[in-house]
Amino acid sequence: MPELPQNGAYMVAAYIVTAVILMGYAVSLWMRSR
Amino acid sequence: MTPLPAAAPIIRYGRLLTVLGLLGMAVVYLLALRYTPVEARQGMAQKIFYVHAPAAWGALIAFVLVGVASILYLWLHDPRLDLFAEASAEVGLAFSAVMLTTGPIWGKPIWGTWWTWDARLTLTLFLFLLFLGYLTLRAAVREPVERARFSAVLGIMALVLVPFIHLSVYLFRTLHPQPILLKPSRPSLPPQMLRTLLTSMGVYTLLYLGFVTLRYGIGLRRAARLREVDDA
Repeated sequence: MPELPQNGAYMVAAYIVTAVILMGYAVSLWMRSR
Repeated sequence: MTPLPAAAPIIRYGRLLTVLGLLGMAVVYLLALRYTPVEARQGMAQKIFYVHAPAAWGALIAFVLVGVASILYLWLHDPRLDLFAEASAEVGLAFSAVMLTTGPIWGKPIWGTWWTWDARLTLTLFLFLLFLGYLTLRAAVREPVERARFSAVLGIMALVLVPFIHLSVYLFRTLHPQPILLKPSRPSLPPQMLRTLLTSMGVYTLLYLGFVTLRYGIGLRRAARLREVDDA
């Protein structure tokens, strides 16, 4: 059975980037809507 | 002059949908990390797919609806359609930012490069820049009717690009994977992966509705204030 590639750090980076963009945009909308 | 609906209830509704969408994203993260199996050849990096592909879905929906609202605006001259197009374009840009950052993060371990100028990636970048230009144009033109007309034309031109992006993997030689869901044959994914992908697409759709409702409410309130200033 082939060894699993060790690239979990890329997944963690992508999930953090996604959360930062979506949360950042949500906060921006929230501030503008006050 | 077309009367504008009250902004406050729309903003409240948008906030509720946005909170639900963000909670849904937390569920998607849990599903992707705990429920979905690790793909044997790509490893953990394959799980980037569950945030990347639905972001592309959300962005393309947003940009298609900008085009549709723009066509309807040029026909009906209803300022609410222009405000909706503006809101949808901004949300599309946010989703595109997710798509254009998570794509290269997946590409590096799988393709061995962050970026390649192939048809799918290049056209997607062009669409992102086009909508950046769309919002810049809106910020530059002060007269509301002129701004709505100019940006509607740009929104319709951008709509033409969307089918090329979807079909680019068939029309051109490209490194980008073929569609998994939006194709004539059955989805080519194991059931657990498919469920997580569909959940994520549903959550991005909910987030789109929340963001666009909230942004539309903000636009409505701004337009109403400008009318008050003009009337005074």
